[in-house]
Amino acid sequence: MAASIAPECNDIKEKYDTCFLKWYSEKYLRGHTASNECEELFSKYKTCLHKALKEKGIDSMLDDARKANSESDTEFLRRS
Amino acid sequence: MKFFENVFTYDYSFPAVSLAYFLRYPNPYSRHVLTTDVIDRYVDPKTQRLHTIRLHLKKSKVPSGILKLLPKGMGGSDNSGQSYILETTIVDPREGWMESESRNMEWTGILSVVEKQVYQRQPIEGALYSLEGLSLDDKRGEQTTVKTTVTFRSRFGQGKLLGRRKTEAIGDHNGEIEDDAPKKGFFSSLSTAGIQRTIELIGVKRTRDAVLKSKQGMNIVLERLRNGGIVGVLEGMRQDREAAFGHEGPWKRVWARGHAHIEDDDN
Repeated sequence: MAASIAPECNDIKEKYDTCFLKWYSEKYLRGHTASNECEELFSKYKTCLHKALKEKGIDSMLDDARKANSESDTEFLRRS
Repeated sequence: MKFFENVFTYDYSFPAVSLAYFLRYPNPYSRHVLTTDVIDRYVDPKTQRLHTIRLHLKKSKVPSGILKLLPKGMGGSDNSGQSYILETTIVDPREGWMESESRNMEWTGILSVVEKQVYQRQPIEGALYSLEGLSLDDKRGEQTTVKTTVTFRSRFGQGKLLGRRKTEAIGDHNGEIEDDAPKKGFFSSLSTAGIQRTIELIGVKRTRDAVLKSKQGMNIVLERLRNGGIVGVLEGMRQDREAAFGHEGPWKRVWARGHAHIEDDDN
């Protein structure tokens, strides 16, 4: 599994990644799209990651880049 | 502005390709990808589409050809050899498509690279699609096409007004434009358009290699997925890592060990 930018988050990230891959392949891709049993692990991983991103000063750059992406999101959603 | 476009067909089902996409790092062709993190992920309650935002840290230097064009110190001094890439993905498993967009987050004033990919399930004549019971890789005949479009835009040396007008047309963010303005003075004697074209061309050249490598990496992951499922992919990653880095992890490369283990390494 790919490593996290924050080594201290690697353990929780691996747990979350494993959970996600199982849910994605066994449930989501087979049409059971509603539930997501990995929510709790993801929330723990996000807490760890966001702390690290803030310490590294990447969080504000990330916010800017996400704003740039939001217009494309709208484009995507207009499809179909 | 320059474009790179490529259409490729994977001999794998759409669910397999979309899973491989999220599982693709690390692979033997992705040694330049240092870390991958999930910033956000949710299922849109209306559309049931899965939205994912990931942050990749990649080893990447400003190409020497571009460095030569920059004033001393610029692009060089703060070029740590690493760059952040933001990747946004939307998957629609019912309609059988996935779209992704990746963009560089730094030095976008020199060269902004935006890669868009559209993955699309290819219907097989006479086949019935029902999601119920759809196995990840049952239909050996099923194919998935991917259309890759990469846009290069150098706003190098552009003034504020020109930058803003272009920005609105293309939908990029405005944060970088102010940065560009003071640099203009350095290049008053040079052709700004010429420098931009050169920077964009170097970007296109590098992208050809990158797109090929990314396909090769995806194919390895897909093959491992077909042969051994997700466990097979993870085992492959473990072996790659040992072969490349030894047991010390990516931060302490053991080159001797790597060479001893890869006999057909033609690098």
